[in-house]
Amino acid sequence: MLEDTLRVQTIYIVATASESTLRQRSTFPKHTPPTDSNASATEDAPKKVIKSVFTSAEKTNSLIALAGLTALAIISRFYKINEPDEVVFDEVHFGKFASYYLRGSYFFDVHPPLAKMMLAAMGYFIGYDGHFLFDNIGDKYNDNNVPYIGLRALPAFLGAMTVPLVYMTMREAGFPILTCALAAFFVIFDNMLVTQTRLILLDSMLVFFMMCSIYSYVRFYKTRNNPFTLKWWSWMIATGVSIALTTSVKMVGLFTVATIGVAVIWDLWELLDIRRRLTMQQFMNHFYARAIGLILIPVVVYLFWFYVHFAILTNSGPGDDFMSTEFQETLKGNTMADGIFVKYGDNITIRHKDTSVYLHSHEHNYPLRYDDGRISSAGQQVTGYSHEDPNNLWQIYSDNVENTKIGKQVKDKDVIRLLHVATSSWLLAHDVASPTMTTNEEITTYSINEDGSRFNETTFQIILESGGDKLRTMASNFKLLHQSTKVAIWTHAHKLPDWGFEQQEINGNKNLVQKSNLWLSDNIEGKNASEIDQESSKAVKTRSFILKFLELQGKMISHNAGLTDSHPYQSSPIEWPFLVKGISFWTENETRKQIYLVGNPLGMWIAVASLAVIIGVSGADLLSRRRGFYPLNQDVQKRFYYATGFFFIGWIFHYIPFFLMGRALFLHHYMPALVFSYMVLAAVHGFIFIEGVDGPISDAGPETRPRQLQRAVVPVIAYASGIILMAIHLGSFLFFAPLSYGTSAPSVAGLARRKFLPQWDYHFAK
Amino acid sequence: MRNGHSSAVDQTGVPVYRGSQAARGSSLNNNNSTATDSRQSLDESREHHNHSKAVHSNDNEDNSRFTKFKSRRSLPWYQSRELQIVGAITLLSLIVRLWAIDYPTSVVFDEVHFGGFASKYIKNRFFMDVHPPLAKMLIALTGWLFGLNPSFDFKEIGLDYIEPKVPYVPMRLMCGIMGVAVVPMAFYTVRNSGHSIHAATLAALLVLFENSLVTQSRLILLDSPLILFTAFTALAWVNFHNQRKNAFSDDWFIWLFLTGVGLGLSGSVKWVGLFIIATIGTSTINQLWDLWGDLKVSPRSWLNHFIARAVCLIVVPVAVYMLMFEIHFLILHNGGDGDGFMSAPFQMTLGHSLQDSPLSVAYGASVSIRHQGTKGGYLHSHASVYETGSKQQQITLYPHKDTNNDWIIQKKDGTVPEGLEYIQHGDVIRLMHITTNKRLHSHEHKPPMTEDENHFEVSGYGFKDFAGDANDEWRVEIVENNDEESGKFLHTLNSKFKLVHTNMNCDLFSHKVKLPKWAFEQQEVTCMRSAVLAKTTWVIESNIHADYPEDAPKVNYKKPGFLGKFLELNKVMWETNAGLLDSHPYDSRPSSWPLLKRGISFWGREQKHIYLVGNPVTWFMSTAAIVIYVAIRGLLFLRDKRGYNDDFNGLREYYELSGGFFFVAWAFHYFPFFLMDRQLFLHHYLPALYFAILLFSVTFDVACRFIPSRARLVALVLIASIAIYSFRVRAPLTYGSEWTRSECEASKVLTTWDYDCNQYPDNYAQYVSNAAAKTAAVESTTNAEEPAANVDSFERDTEPQEQQAVSEGEGVVDAVGAGAAVAAAAAVAEPVGEDAQITDPAEAKMAQDGEIEPTFDFEVPVEDDEVSENEKNDA
Repeated sequence: MLEDTLRVQTIYIVATASESTLRQRSTFPKHTPPTDSNASATEDAPKKVIKSVFTSAEKTNSLIALAGLTALAIISRFYKINEPDEVVFDEVHFGKFASYYLRGSYFFDVHPPLAKMMLAAMGYFIGYDGHFLFDNIGDKYNDNNVPYIGLRALPAFLGAMTVPLVYMTMREAGFPILTCALAAFFVIFDNMLVTQTRLILLDSMLVFFMMCSIYSYVRFYKTRNNPFTLKWWSWMIATGVSIALTTSVKMVGLFTVATIGVAVIWDLWELLDIRRRLTMQQFMNHFYARAIGLILIPVVVYLFWFYVHFAILTNSGPGDDFMSTEFQETLKGNTMADGIFVKYGDNITIRHKDTSVYLHSHEHNYPLRYDDGRISSAGQQVTGYSHEDPNNLWQIYSDNVENTKIGKQVKDKDVIRLLHVATSSWLLAHDVASPTMTTNEEITTYSINEDGSRFNETTFQIILESGGDKLRTMASNFKLLHQSTKVAIWTHAHKLPDWGFEQQEINGNKNLVQKSNLWLSDNIEGKNASEIDQESSKAVKTRSFILKFLELQGKMISHNAGLTDSHPYQSSPIEWPFLVKGISFWTENETRKQIYLVGNPLGMWIAVASLAVIIGVSGADLLSRRRGFYPLNQDVQKRFYYATGFFFIGWIFHYIPFFLMGRALFLHHYMPALVFSYMVLAAVHGFIFIEGVDGPISDAGPETRPRQLQRAVVPVIAYASGIILMAIHLGSFLFFAPLSYGTSAPSVAGLARRKFLPQWDYHFAK
Repeated sequence: MRNGHSSAVDQTGVPVYRGSQAARGSSLNNNNSTATDSRQSLDESREHHNHSKAVHSNDNEDNSRFTKFKSRRSLPWYQSRELQIVGAITLLSLIVRLWAIDYPTSVVFDEVHFGGFASKYIKNRFFMDVHPPLAKMLIALTGWLFGLNPSFDFKEIGLDYIEPKVPYVPMRLMCGIMGVAVVPMAFYTVRNSGHSIHAATLAALLVLFENSLVTQSRLILLDSPLILFTAFTALAWVNFHNQRKNAFSDDWFIWLFLTGVGLGLSGSVKWVGLFIIATIGTSTINQLWDLWGDLKVSPRSWLNHFIARAVCLIVVPVAVYMLMFEIHFLILHNGGDGDGFMSAPFQMTLGHSLQDSPLSVAYGASVSIRHQGTKGGYLHSHASVYETGSKQQQITLYPHKDTNNDWIIQKKDGTVPEGLEYIQHGDVIRLMHITTNKRLHSHEHKPPMTEDENHFEVSGYGFKDFAGDANDEWRVEIVENNDEESGKFLHTLNSKFKLVHTNMNCDLFSHKVKLPKWAFEQQEVTCMRSAVLAKTTWVIESNIHADYPEDAPKVNYKKPGFLGKFLELNKVMWETNAGLLDSHPYDSRPSSWPLLKRGISFWGREQKHIYLVGNPVTWFMSTAAIVIYVAIRGLLFLRDKRGYNDDFNGLREYYELSGGFFFVAWAFHYFPFFLMDRQLFLHHYLPALYFAILLFSVTFDVACRFIPSRARLVALVLIASIAIYSFRVRAPLTYGSEWTRSECEASKVLTTWDYDCNQYPDNYAQYVSNAAAKTAAVESTTNAEEPAANVDSFERDTEPQEQQAVSEGEGVVDAVGAGAAVAAAAAVAEPVGEDAQITDPAEAKMAQDGEIEPTFDFEVPVEDDEVSENEKNDA
C-alpha cells in the first residue's frame, strides 16, 4: 500500500513538471505533445538573437498599406461632413453638453466627462462660445452660427485614426499584411462605424481609446521577456492610461478594462507557475508593477478628468437638481443661497430628498382593516404628495405647550412638533404597523382639539445633516426623529392603494442611518428670500473633490440603471450581431433624405460566421487534443489562441455583459464589439488560407533561447479570397452609403431593395 | 493512477465512492487498485474501526470494504446499524415534523394559492399559475381523495377550515410526509458519497431540526415536494456515480434512469428545479470530458455513454415534464379564470366555442377586432369618457365577448356601399362603434397613461348622423397573411393587419398598461408613431353581414394540439413569472439569505404566530462550510501552481470530490437568483441550504480526521445538541404555538428578524384568559354587529395603550365586527366611491379581481343598465 502511494506521487510530480495545466494528459506519456518551440530549437539553429522576422521590403510594403488605408479612412469619415447642417440624433445631447462646458454651467449626464470635454475644447479652439443648445433634431446649424463642421471633425478624425490602430495592432500581433489590411478595410467600410463616428457623438472617442488600449497591451506583452525595462514600463503605463481614457469616455470602457484585466491575470497566473522559476519576491514585483500601472495610474487619470470637469463647471445650471444641497452650494448662482432661516411659528413645506414628495395629510383616514387582514389605527392619513397643495403646509412648534419660542430660529437637535395647518392636527408616530410595511411604524395625526394625552407621541427631534446648525429652507437636509419610539419619518417610491389616492406611503423607519430618511424644507409660506432681511451670505461654498466625485459617480450609476423607459429604436443585444434592427438618426421631409444607422450587413454577417468558426475550431482542437491528436502545428495553435483568441475575448467582453443590463440598449452599443469581430474575421481568414505563422514576434530577452525563424506562406488563393471579401464588403457599403451619409435620397423602390430585413423601418419607404 | 490525477482537476465531479459495489469491482480488478484507492481503504478501515468502537459493531466485521459488504448482507436487516439509525431518525422526524399538523385550523400564507388551485382542479376549471403542475396536482389529488368540497376557495389567509370541513390535514400530511422523506435522503446521500456514518447522521439531524424546512413542509406549499425531488435526484446521481466502474450494468442504468426521473419531477414542481438539472448537467459534462480523455474508452463506447446519458437525462425528464402538463390539460378542460392569459385558439380547447365566420370582409360588416400583441382582447368602447385629454369617449381593450366590441366598417366617406364590396389591403376605412354611434378617432392629444411623445389618444367621437372628419380615417395594411388571397383582401382570422391613422401616420396600438379606475382598469389603446409591429397588429375575429351568401367560405381558429398548448402555456408562465416585480412586505434579496437576515411572516392569530425563519445554528454553520470550502480550494489551487503537492494522504480528494459536488449544487441553487428581477423570498434558498448542510457534514467528516476517534462521537452529539436546542428555542414560531414575550425576545439572534414579540403575552397563563375573552367576543359578534363595534370603539377612546394591542395582536379576530362597520363608514367618505357609480361595474369588478366568469355567450349583456339606457337614447 505504501509503495503504491509513493508510486503515484512520483508519477504525479513528473506530470506536474512536464505539463501541469493539462494534468490528464500526463497519464498517457506516450501521447506527450511536441514540446514548445523553445525546446524544439535544435543545436544547429542560428545562435544570434533575432530582432525581427520581417525584412525591410516587407516593412516598406506594410507602411504603404498603412498609409493607403489611413487615407481611405479619412476620406470615408470626412466625405461631405458638412451634410446635413442640422442637429442629428444624439447630437442633441452631446452638442448641448459641449455648450454647457463653454458656458461653465453645471449639467448632469450619465457618461463620464472626457469625450464631452474634448468636444468642448474643440469648440473653444475654433471659436465657438456655446450659445446654441442643440434642442431638437433637425435644428439648423447655419442659421444659428454654429461651427459644427469643426465639432464634427474631432470625432471624425479619431474615427479615422481607429483604422491605423486596428492595422498596427494586428501587425504587432504577428499577422501578415494581407490579414491586417483585411481587418482595417472592414473597419473603414462599415456603415455603422462611418455614421456614428462622423457626428458629434461619444462612440468615436470610445472606440479610438479602446483600440489604443489594445494596441498598447499587445506592445507591452511583446516586451514580456525583458521585464522592468523602460520599454516594458512605457507600454504598460500606456495601456493603463488608455484604459482610463476609454472609461473616462463612457462607463462601457470598463469592458475594455475587463478584457485587459483577464489577459493580465492570465499572464500573472503563468508567471506564478513554478516552472517559470520566479521566486515569490520576483512574482510579487510583477504583481506590484501591474497594480501601479494598470490600477493606480488609471484611477488617477480617471479622477483627473472629473477634477477638470468640476473646475470648468463652476456656475449653477440645469444639472443642479440632480445633486445634493452641499454640492449645489459650491456652484455660483445656486438656489441654495436663497434659503431663509425657519423660525418657530412659520408654515413650511417639507419635501423628501430622494423622491421629491411633500409631507402631506388630508381629511381621510387609514382604513381600519387592510387587505392582508391587519388593523390600522384608522387615524388621519399622512402621505407623500408630489404636487404643491395647501395640505402640504406644516406649522412648526417647539416642544413646550405654550410655544414660547415663537419667532426664534429652529436649530439642530431641537425638539419640535408639527401642526398640519389645514386640518389642525398634530403629526404623530406610534407603535402601529404602517399600511404596507409591517416593519415600519404608522404615521398619522391627531386633532388639536383632543386632550394632550398623546403629547409624547407628537414630538420629533430635528437633526440637521447638512447646511449649518440652523434650519434653513432649500439648504438644510434633516431627519425627523420620533422622540418616544426612535423612528425616523421616511418614505419610498411605493404607492398606497386606492384608499390613499395612490399617493406615496409615509412611515416611521427603524433604520435611522438610511440616507433616504432625509427631508428638506423648500418653502416658508408667504416669504421669499428677496422680501425678507437676508441673514445668509450668498458666498459660494467649497467641498472636497473626492466627496463631489463620489456623489456624481453614484448618481451617474443610479441614473444609468434607471434608463429603463422604452424607446422605439431600442433593440436587444441578441439582435445586434445579426443586424436585426437599425436606428433612424435624422430625416428631412422636403428632400426625403434620411440617415439611418445600420452596419454593413454583409460584412457583419460574415463576421458572425467567423466568430462561429472560432468556437468550432477551438472546440474541435480541445476535443482532439483530449484524445491525443494534435491537429494544429504548435505555433499556429499558439497564435490562434493568443492573438485571435484575445480578440475574440475582446468581442465577448464588449458584447455579452449587455445581456445583463436592464436599461434601454441601442444598436450603436455594439460598435466596440463590432471592431473586434472584424479583427477576428481577418484572423480567421488568415487561419484558413495562410500556411504557418510569422515568428517569433516578441522581443527576445536575456534568457530567451535562440529561436527558429518561421515564415508564413501567403498563397494566391489567400489574396484572391481576401479581395473577394473586400469587394463584397465595399459593394455592400456603397449600396447603403446614401442612408449612412444622408446625402442623397433613394427612391421608394431603392429603399425597398435596401430593406434586407423587414425590421429595418426606413422613413419615406412608401 | 487515474484517480490520483483527475481528482484535482475534477471540481464538479461526484465523490469517489468507496461503497460496496465499487470496492468489489476494484478488488476484483487489480489493475485498478491504485495507491489512492489503497489510501482510501486505509481511511475507510480507520473510520470503520472507529465505528466499531463507537457503535459497538459486530465483531465479525472486518476492516476491508469487501468483507464489510458481505457481512452487511449476511446480517439480518434489523441488525444493520445504518438501517437502525436511519429508522430512528426517520421516526423522530415523523414526530417532529408532523406534530400538531392540524394547527392552525385556518388558511396560512400561500395555502391561499395552492389550496385554491386544488379546488380548481376538482372543478376542472382552467387557471394560470407560474409553477408547473405536478405538486399542485398531488395536493389536489389528496384533497379529492379526502373529499375536498371545491366550493371552498381558500380565498384569504385566516379563513377557517373546520367549519366548511376542509380535509386540510391530509393535504398538509401529504406535504409533511414528503418533507420527512428528505431526512433519510440526506443520510444516504452523504453516506453513499463515501462518508462516515457520523457525518451522515449529522446531515440527517441538521436537516431534520431545521426550523425553516419544518415550517415549509407542514403547510400546503410546493417547497417540500421540490426539496424532496431535488434531494432524490442528488441521491440517485451519487448512486449512479458509484456504479461508474460497472458501466452499462443494470444498477448503472437504474440509477441513471432514476436520476432522469428525479430531474423531470423536480422541474415539474417549480422551475427552480432547473437548478438541479444544471447541477447534474455540469457533472455529466465533467464525466463525459473525463471519459473522452480516457483513451481506454473507445470512441464507440464513449458514444454509448453519451447516448445513454442523453436519453436518461434529457429525454426522460422532458417526457416526465410534458406528461405532467398532459395530465394538467386533461383535468382542466373547462374554462376558468386563467382563460384571459391564453390566446384565442387555446381558449377554444377550454369549452369556448366560436362560430365559423365568413372569410371575406365586406363594407358594412359588423366585426370584432382582436389585438394580437397582447392578450388584452377586443377593441372596445363604451359610453364613458376619458377624464384626461380630449374628454371624448373611451376606447379600450376588453378581454371578453360583448356587444360593445362590435364595429361596423364604413368607407372613407362614412357611407356603406350597397351590395358586397370587399376590403382590400391599403383601403382607407372608418370604424363605427355600433352601440354608441361613435367612430374610432385619433388626434393630437396625450393619451391617458403613456407619456411618450410618440403616442396619441384614441377616442370615440361623433354622434348619430354626424358625417365624421378626417381624423376618423384608418388605412388597413395587411402585415401577415396565411395565403396569397389574404394578403390582398382583408380576411377574417387569416389577415393580420395594422390600422394606420392617415392624418397623423400613426398605428393603432395597445399595450399592457391599465387605464385608471374611471376606465374600469381596462387596457389602454393609443395611436403610436414608429411602433413595434407586434403590438400594432389586429385580426378580425367575428364577421357578420346581412348580405353574405349562405355558402360563403368560412373560417375558424385551428385548435392547438398538445404540443401547441404546452408551448404556449410555458411561454405565458415565463412571461408572468418575469412580470412578478411588485415588492412584497416580506420579500428579500439573495444576498441576505446565507446570513439569514430576515424571515417571512406566514400567519398570526390569537397571540400565536408562524414565522418562517431558519435554525440559526445550522444556517450559520452551513454558510461557514461554504466559506471554508472556497478558502481551502482557493489556497490549494494557488499552492499547486507553486509546485507544492499537498495531498494530505488522500484527505484532499476525499474532501474535494464529494464536497465539490455539494458545493456546485449549492452554487447552482443560489447564484442564479441574483439574475432574477422578480420578487424573491427566503424560502427560495431552501434547496441551496440543503446542499450547504450536506457540505457541512462533509466538512465535519474531514475535520474529524484530525481529532481522536473517541472524540468524534462527542463532537457529533455536541453539534447536534446545539442545533436541536436552537430548534427548540424557535419552535413556537415554527408550530404556531404558545410563547411568552421574554422568550420571544431572547430568541432573536439578529435584530433584523422582524417578528413582533409584543404580540405575545407576558406569561402562558394569559393564554387561558384570552381564550375566554375570545369566546365572549365571538358570541357578541354573532349576536349583533353594531354593539360589538361600539364596545370596541369605546375601548379605543378610553385606553390608547390598549388600542395598540387591539390593532396589532388579537385585534385581528376581535375587531372583525368593528372593522366591518368602520370600513363601511370609510367607504362612504372615500372619493373613490364617486367614480364607481359610472357604467361598467361588471367590467370594473372583473378587472379588480379577475374572478368573474368570462361570458363568451353572445347573448349575455355584460354592461349594466345605464349603458343600455344610453343605447336606447342614442337609438
